[in-house]
Parts: sequence; structure tokens; C-alpha cells
Amino acid sequence: MKKLLLFILVLSTLLRADEAQDIMKKVDNNMRGQNVYMQITMRITSMGHTRTMKMKTWAQGTKKSFVKTIYPPKDKGITFLSLDNQMWQYVPKIERTIKIPTSMMLQNWMGSDFTNDDMVKQSSIVDDYDPRILKREGSVVTIELTPKEDAAVVWGKIVTNIDTTTYTSNKDLFYDEDGEVVRTFFYSEVKQFGKYYTPTHWKVQPVDKPNNSTEIILEDVKYDTKISEQYFRKSALKRFSR
Amino acid sequence: MFSLALKNILFYKGRSITTFVLTFVSTLLFILYVALMDGSHGSMLQNALKVYTGSIEIYKKGYRDIGGNEYFITDVAKVEKVLDKIDGVEKYTSRYETYGLLSSSENSAAAMVVGINPEKEIGMSELSSTLVEGTYLSRDSGNCLYAGVDLVKKLRAKIGDEVSFVGGASDNSFAADLFKLCGTFKTGSFEFDASASFITRSYFDELMYAQNKASYITLKLTDLDEVDTINKEIETKIDSSLESVSWKVLMHAMVEAMQVDSIFGYISLVLFFVVIFFVIMIFGFINVSSRVREFGTLRCIGLSRGKIRLLLFYEILILSTAAIILATPLGAYIAYYYSIHPFVIEGMSETYKQYGVVSDQVPLSFDLFTISWNVILIYLLNFLSVIYPIMYINSFRPIEATHHV
Repeated sequence: MKKLLLFILVLSTLLRADEAQDIMKKVDNNMRGQNVYMQITMRITSMGHTRTMKMKTWAQGTKKSFVKTIYPPKDKGITFLSLDNQMWQYVPKIERTIKIPTSMMLQNWMGSDFTNDDMVKQSSIVDDYDPRILKREGSVVTIELTPKEDAAVVWGKIVTNIDTTTYTSNKDLFYDEDGEVVRTFFYSEVKQFGKYYTPTHWKVQPVDKPNNSTEIILEDVKYDTKISEQYFRKSALKRFSR
Repeated sequence: MFSLALKNILFYKGRSITTFVLTFVSTLLFILYVALMDGSHGSMLQNALKVYTGSIEIYKKGYRDIGGNEYFITDVAKVEKVLDKIDGVEKYTSRYETYGLLSSSENSAAAMVVGINPEKEIGMSELSSTLVEGTYLSRDSGNCLYAGVDLVKKLRAKIGDEVSFVGGASDNSFAADLFKLCGTFKTGSFEFDASASFITRSYFDELMYAQNKASYITLKLTDLDEVDTINKEIETKIDSSLESVSWKVLMHAMVEAMQVDSIFGYISLVLFFVVIFFVIMIFGFINVSSRVREFGTLRCIGLSRGKIRLLLFYEILILSTAAIILATPLGAYIAYYYSIHPFVIEGMSETYKQYGVVSDQVPLSFDLFTISWNVILIYLLNFLSVIYPIMYINSFRPIEATHHV
């Protein structure tokens, strides 16, 4: 009898882990599709004022992405390429392509509350973390993501609230290695694009700078279109900067 | 009683010479040890302050703990007006520090890029005098970059090369520019030389939208010993959103290291003095023990216990004074000489480079107050060492003492 109870307990734990893994894969698939093109507006609030940036992004799977800044005019043409966790930047003003070194990955991206690491390692939420269901409230499942032992990640853990009707997150809490919340992502205004659901309003709120925030509004989203491979070559940085 | 004491000193030569030599050596050693300890700490501090850190630095509250563009001083001119009116402030200058990515055609490195007023920095820091190659900055040097030798090595750049900069401006917007490597410096502090670079503020301010802004204002004082008083005065006169911080806080790690070093130094000295104290006391005790009958006779002919006490007190007073009179000027002279002509320990700067030490020279500290308390302490120890022998000899009754074997 004891063995049967133990078996049921182990089985249920494994099933819950599998379910958590399934949920995270669906969430990740919703965010990426086969490939995705987005035009986004980024509103960065800091030091009492708000700056607006506009960008176009092209992403293929989990390893390739290309970002082009189109607004403000001062920053127009700045491009970023991410390939296999590496990142390059082209700055038209100085006509230089620069590889972002590992030591700079935690620096803010373009003065926002996103880091360079966020731009490169979005895939790691599935590959680098072990998910565990913490609780359920209706259709919302709270999942704790703890880093795998050999994963090169910067967060101590991530706690995410997933709405299982659309498989989108409505809130992510990022913890440091001491277990303190460092920043919070809020997601809202979930819209359907073909077979994918994605929140079209994101907001990042750093804990140590409560007056700062970065909002992202997805203005144009196209999933599973034909994106030229040329976007994911280093030559694209300069070529598509214009 | 004094002449009797003098006669006893000359008669008991062994004990007298031992006490004299021990007192002489311990006085000389104590003066020189403390002078060396204070001198090396002072030298470490001066070196560290010379390189980059000011005696006092003024920040916006939160800059040192959290950092970021939100915590810049936004009205430098206003603070400078306050500083102009404070006595004891020899010089000051503002610095705009930011972190960004420097890239040559060969390599990239994360670096601290600092906008400085090159002329004001001369005399405030060692930046100009640590020039290795090329030229130091001037007000009109435009996009000239002055970088640490180890940072330049990382970038694999040479004088005249273009170095691109990518970072965030003071309003958090994107900033990028091409600099020209005009000069390299070496302070001896590896961390600093591997991460710091400088550019003239007149140029950098435009790129970073940093006019009248600063990460902090650094000050040099006419007298470093006045740092706490001046720091308090500044605190009362600047805006409450700012803080004035002395080198003691800024260089907390170094101060702690110096304190620990001093504590261990004094512990070693205490052990040394315990040995000296007991040796003098034992010699005094042996001497007194062999003179019990003599003291008994003196008591029988009418000398009181107080007179015996006075006799032994005079003996130690004469011996100690003679030794101290010889040791003190000698110790003071050596301390004075080496305070002007420091001796050199090859490789010392290498050992202490994490504290910003840039010199192998170790001066001794010459301070009359310190020498005075050193001498008084030796005097006290000598007098303490005679207490037990006095108690011992006075425990005998006169007749009993005359029969003592």
C-alpha cells in the first residue's frame, strides 16, 4: 500500500512537471511562432520624462533576431543582430559594427529597462529553466522557473502567471540570486494573430527605480511569413540600416 | 637619597647596564616602529588620494549605492559657488563618469569613460603625470581619448587609432561617437589602468548632454587632517539632496586594512613590551633580592619604608632617563631623516596596487606628539616594573631583613 502511494506521488509530481513544461512551450510558441515580424513602440520613462522609440523586429525561431530602430531620427538606422546568444550592433553615425561583449550583456538596452541579455536570451525560458507549478486560480497557473544547474542565466528564479486560455503571461517576477524581486513584467491586451495569441502591451518595472518603466506596444505583428535569411547575416546590420 | 641611588647604580653594574640597554632599545624601537607604521599608512593614503580619489567628494544621494543617470548632480555651478567660500578647500573639479563600450578595429571592451576638466585635474590627481605615451588632454583636445595602458592593450589599439564609443547619454538616450586615442597612462593600479579612460568635458558634455551635470565633484584640501571639519561644513552648506563624503568612507577598504594592520602592529608591540617589562622587573627583583640585608641595615639605621621606595624609584628614574635621553633624539632624528628621504622597498607598489599605491617609497612619520607619548609609555613601563620589587623588599621587617640569607 505504501509503495502504491509513493508511486502515485512520484507519478503526479512528474505529470505536473510535464504539464508545466508543456505550458511554457506553448507560451514560448505563442510569442515566436515559426517566425515573427513586429513593429513596436517603446516608451521609456525615467528621470521624470518619457522618450519614445519605434523599431521593427524580425525573429526566426529562438536563435535569430534582427532589430532596426526607425524613430527618433537621431537613432534611426541603428540595427541589432542576435545569433546564437551573440549580439552585434551597427551605429550609422560612426559607421561601425560592434560586437557586444559578454561583460555588457546586463547593461541596459538603448537606455530602456531591458538588458542586452533580454534581447538575446529570450529562448532560455524554455531551454535554461526547470518549470514547476506553484498554484492555480481558475485558468491562471503560477509557474516557478528555476535555472538548470549548467545554465548560464542571470536570474535566481522567475515566477510567471500564465493564462491557460490563451497561453500568455500576464505577469513575470524576476528574482536575483538572493531571492529578491528585481523587476516585474506586466503583460496585457492579448490579441489573436492567426493561430497565435500574444499580449500587445508590455511594461517593465524595475524595483530599485520605482519611477522608471519601459512600455512596449506591439503595433503590427505578422507570424509565419517569409523572412529573408539575409536579415540574419552580419552584413544585414549595415545593409538594412538605411 | 638621590646620591645613594646613583651610587647603587654604579655599584650594581650588571643590573644597571641591562636595564639601561633594554630601555634604550625598546624606546628606540618603539619610536621607529610607530613612525614606520604611521608613515607607511600615510604614504598609502597619499598615494591612493593622489591617483584619482579626492580628499572629499560630493555626490547626489543614491549615486554611490544605486547609481545611474538619475543620480547625477544637476547644478554643478551652484555647488561650486558654495565651495569657493569654504576655507581649506585648495582645489575642486567635477567629473562626469559613464560606462560604455569602447571598440577599436580589433577588439571591444567595457570601460569607464570620464569627462574631465584637464587643466583642473593637474594637481588634483596623478592623471597627467602618469602619462606613458602620446599626450595628456587639454581643454581643446576635442575627441582625444586618454586611456589606461591595460585598457589600450585590451583594445589592441595604438596612439592615433580611432576608438568608437557606445553608451547612454545623461538623459538615458543612446550615445555613440568616434574618439581618437591620443595618450595612455599608467597609475600602477591594474583595475584602474584596465578600465578607465578620459576625455575633455567640453567635448564629452555635448555628446552626453551633460552641461552643468556631474557624477560627483572631487576636492583637494590644503590640510588633509582637517578633512572631518571641512566635510561637516560642506554638508551644512550644500543642498540636502547631496552628500559630502570624506576619503575615510570613499576608501573604506583601505582604511579598514590600515586599521587591521595597526592593530596587529600594536599587538606585536604589546608582546614585545610584555617581554621587556618582565625582563626589567626580573632583573630588578633579582637585584633587590640580593640586597635584602642591605635594605635591612638601612631600615635599622632609621630609613623608613617610604625612603626605601624613593631610593628604588630614583634608581629606575636615573636609569630610564639616561636611556631615554639617548634613545629619543636618536629615534627622532632617524624618523625625521627618513620622513624626508623615504627608503625604498622594491615591489611594494605591486603588493598594494589594489589600494592604489603607486610608489615603492616608504617614508617614516615624524611627529613630536607621537614620539612624546611613545617615550611616556616607556617611562611608565619602567616605573611599573619596579613596583613588585619595592613591595617585596618592604614586606620584610628590618631585623628579619638583616638576617636574610
